[in-house]
Amino acid sequence: MREITFSEAIREALRHEMKLDEKVFIFGEDVGAFGGCFGVTAGLFQEFGPDRVMDTPISESAIMGTAIGSSMMGLRPVPEIMFIDFTTVCFDYLTNQAPKVRYMCGGQLDKLPIVIRTTSGGWIRAAGQHSQSLEGWFTQVPGLKVVMPSSPHDAKGLLLAALRDNNPVLYIEEKALYAMKGPVPEEEYVIPLGQAEVKRPGTGITLISYALMLNKCLAAAEALAKDGISAEVIDLRTLSPLDHETLSKSVKKTHKAVVVQEACEVAGMAAQVIKSLMDSSFSFLDAPIKTVAAGNTVIPFSPALEDAMLPSEVMVIQAAKEIAA
Amino acid sequence: MELPKEKLLEMYKTMVAIRGFEESLAAAVTAGVLPGFVHLGVGQEAVHVGVCSALRPSDWISSTHRDHGIILARGADIKRMRAEIFGKVTGYCKGKGGSMHLAALDKHATGCNGILGPSQTINLGIALALKKKKQADIAVVMFGDGAAHRGEFHEALNLAACWKLPALAICVNNHYAISVCFDDACAVDDIAARAAGYGMPGLVVDGNDVMAVHEAVSETAKSIRAGKGPALIELKTARWRGHFEGDPQPYRTPEQLESDKKKDPIVRFSTQLLEQGVATEAELKVLQAQAGKELQEAIEFTEKSAYPPLEEIYTDLIYEGRREVR
Amino acid sequence: MKPVGIIANPASGKDIRRLVAYGSVFDNHEKVNIVRRVILGLNSMGVPEAICMPDFYGIGIRAIEGLDVAMKISFLEMEMEGHQDDSTVAARLLHEMRVGCIITLGGDGTNRAVAKTCGDTPLLPISTGTNNVFPFMVEGTLAGIAAGVAARNPSEEGRYVKQAPRLEVRRNGDLIDLALVDVVVSKSGFIASRAMWDVSSLKEIFLCKADPENIGFSAIGGLIFGVPLAQAQGAYLSIGEGGKSVRAPIAPGLICSVPVLTYRHFSSEEEIPISHMPALIALDGERELIVPPGDALSVSLNPKGPRVVDIPLALRWAAEQGLFIEQP
Repeated sequence: MREITFSEAIREALRHEMKLDEKVFIFGEDVGAFGGCFGVTAGLFQEFGPDRVMDTPISESAIMGTAIGSSMMGLRPVPEIMFIDFTTVCFDYLTNQAPKVRYMCGGQLDKLPIVIRTTSGGWIRAAGQHSQSLEGWFTQVPGLKVVMPSSPHDAKGLLLAALRDNNPVLYIEEKALYAMKGPVPEEEYVIPLGQAEVKRPGTGITLISYALMLNKCLAAAEALAKDGISAEVIDLRTLSPLDHETLSKSVKKTHKAVVVQEACEVAGMAAQVIKSLMDSSFSFLDAPIKTVAAGNTVIPFSPALEDAMLPSEVMVIQAAKEIAA
Repeated sequence: MELPKEKLLEMYKTMVAIRGFEESLAAAVTAGVLPGFVHLGVGQEAVHVGVCSALRPSDWISSTHRDHGIILARGADIKRMRAEIFGKVTGYCKGKGGSMHLAALDKHATGCNGILGPSQTINLGIALALKKKKQADIAVVMFGDGAAHRGEFHEALNLAACWKLPALAICVNNHYAISVCFDDACAVDDIAARAAGYGMPGLVVDGNDVMAVHEAVSETAKSIRAGKGPALIELKTARWRGHFEGDPQPYRTPEQLESDKKKDPIVRFSTQLLEQGVATEAELKVLQAQAGKELQEAIEFTEKSAYPPLEEIYTDLIYEGRREVR
Repeated sequence: MKPVGIIANPASGKDIRRLVAYGSVFDNHEKVNIVRRVILGLNSMGVPEAICMPDFYGIGIRAIEGLDVAMKISFLEMEMEGHQDDSTVAARLLHEMRVGCIITLGGDGTNRAVAKTCGDTPLLPISTGTNNVFPFMVEGTLAGIAAGVAARNPSEEGRYVKQAPRLEVRRNGDLIDLALVDVVVSKSGFIASRAMWDVSSLKEIFLCKADPENIGFSAIGGLIFGVPLAQAQGAYLSIGEGGKSVRAPIAPGLICSVPVLTYRHFSSEEEIPISHMPALIALDGERELIVPPGDALSVSLNPKGPRVVDIPLALRWAAEQGLFIEQP
């Protein structure tokens, strides 16, 4: 199978959907002729024109407001917020607005399709305000789905699912994955939202993660195997709604779990996953669930510091070994 | 600008209906039977009717917490409006929105947004969709003098002008944002003066004169429909009652309140109608009686209606349906 | 030397003509700058005091912030209603105080309000509104200097103060209102946004100013006659099909074809009844009077309207007198 990058896979999904449905349109800062700050939308403006791929001023509130209003009117907007760190400046729209419109009007709108694309994560030396992993915050908003792919294959399938979902979906692209290459089918395929996936089966311990960290877990599983520890690796894929069944099925088998997130260790997805497993599988656990996460601090600029405070493959192996025995 | 007698009388009746609706809510608050908060628009009837009378049914309008009158003037069902405000399942939003989220989407009235500011940017999306439809409909957003200082005011006007959206921003300046007087919150005396900074026309209009409001909105809408781009209108008016019902308004003097009441928009309009021989006292009284009857029916309807069943707590959150075939 | 009055109208320049025509936005910040320049001009002529009309925006107050002048700046003690009548009240007070001259910032409407009560106090009208025929497009500093000339030498006024005409509207013989440029009679309707721009409802036009270089309804008269009105001469036009169609600029950017049925001059001897009733009457471009059926109104020309400072004449005369040459 041909291999394309994470970034190309996203573009392919966008292009596919835009060709099929003229109601789909993209807008945000620099997404037009420039092709997006990370090049993800390159070529789309040239192909679809300024009515379907629109540059905006630096106006996140206006971007998100336009998304909600146009979705209310039957269009299928795909706004981009350049960095998840900037969702803070339009936080209201992701919390008070989009997820609540349908509920508060008592269902007078039967759907509100919006796919909010944003980028996340560190490793690119962009320092404290451009490197965060804030996905956890958004999982506490009823009415908003949160999706975070870990590979080019999943990126395309999950984005197609998000584009066809009729709810607000926050689709988070980890920047450090953009260059990652992987096998991606050329045809259309949809990975349903709300479904986690066992990326690597195992029997001795369950490693649970998503996005870039999922890849570190796969590498860690490879290393653990050499030490005789069989690790099952689960990719959450959709952070909200969480796939409790896949998680509990795995832990009921392995009896041990490590949750890995790039976000700071306080709260976030790890806490959600642990709660889920406590609710479903407590009596099956042979050891406390370990968490591997970033230190509870601001992401520093200096490469030496950033690399040390973000979670590594070594930390995952270490955590696994602490409870695997 | 000439309106037929029938339309003028309908406008008068709607103003009277709004006044009655709002005052009945005030009575309900006093009686302790209204849940939550209401923000009454008594005194702003010329704004509500002047604006809506100048729009088409196919236009869209977003309004504020003080604009039950807009929803009513758009032709919404007064019974379902009142039921919503009392949290009954027969309300427009099945009781799940209340006064602050009262929307009548079939009348293209999105209602109020509980956060001040986002309605201005959400209106951009509505306007963009209307522009793509090419039916010359416009998207109106109303907000108060307080909300005119939010960042969204800036972002919305700038982008509306850049993209030449068919958007009409209407600032209803009743001079108070809860207790903060406009003079203390704004360095210039007219919000409309900011329009020039966004490359669009800005008009200042007497918001207590329903015909002045109608004319300004009508002409502005015509201009926007013709593709000349968005505009900003500022309606200067006053609210007679507190920010929310129950607010004793210690920030205003009795003289100020008396002076506001002298500009009663309903009295002003009826005087104009009588002076010009458009209607007789008797005709106006008939309309007042009709409005009163409809209000009474709404009160009875609300009382008889049930609260929503508990299952409604979890409905209308995530749409589970499959996407329709394109 | 007499004090000088300043009446700056904060409301002008924001009406519907910004939309239905292409009227410039004249924001109050610009008015503040003009008043500053006026005061500096007055100060340079040694005017001892400027008395300003107060307003809700505080044009006068903002203008004097940080301004270092020898003259005194004071404000009239009066109630502010926040509309046109404030200018009328202010003009009456300034006239009673015997100021040397009243400088106004506004359009035809503002000056009309002032002319009701300014008596024989000369006006120096600076244009800041939309359709302006009466006030002058003049730089504020020069206006201040010219007003200073007028305040300094009241005995020489004849050289540079002219008397402008005015139109008078009477109901059953009683004077009820006046206009400095035009009285426009249209089909009955609502006052609503006040500004008058709709040609299709016009019935009759009375003018005391009509020059081809005018903008507004007086342009119709100016363009059809081709020459400005003479002293004590008015123009009457009846509007309707069957006569001449005049292409006239009735507002900035708004050029309309106006069907003029009949047109003639009239003198100050005549009192012309308004033949179209019921009617809506606009005075100097703003709808003002609703005339119900049964009322009898008439219009006449009074050549003795407000007295107005002719700025070029005042400045030239003062220069000739050596008033600008400083003693060593």
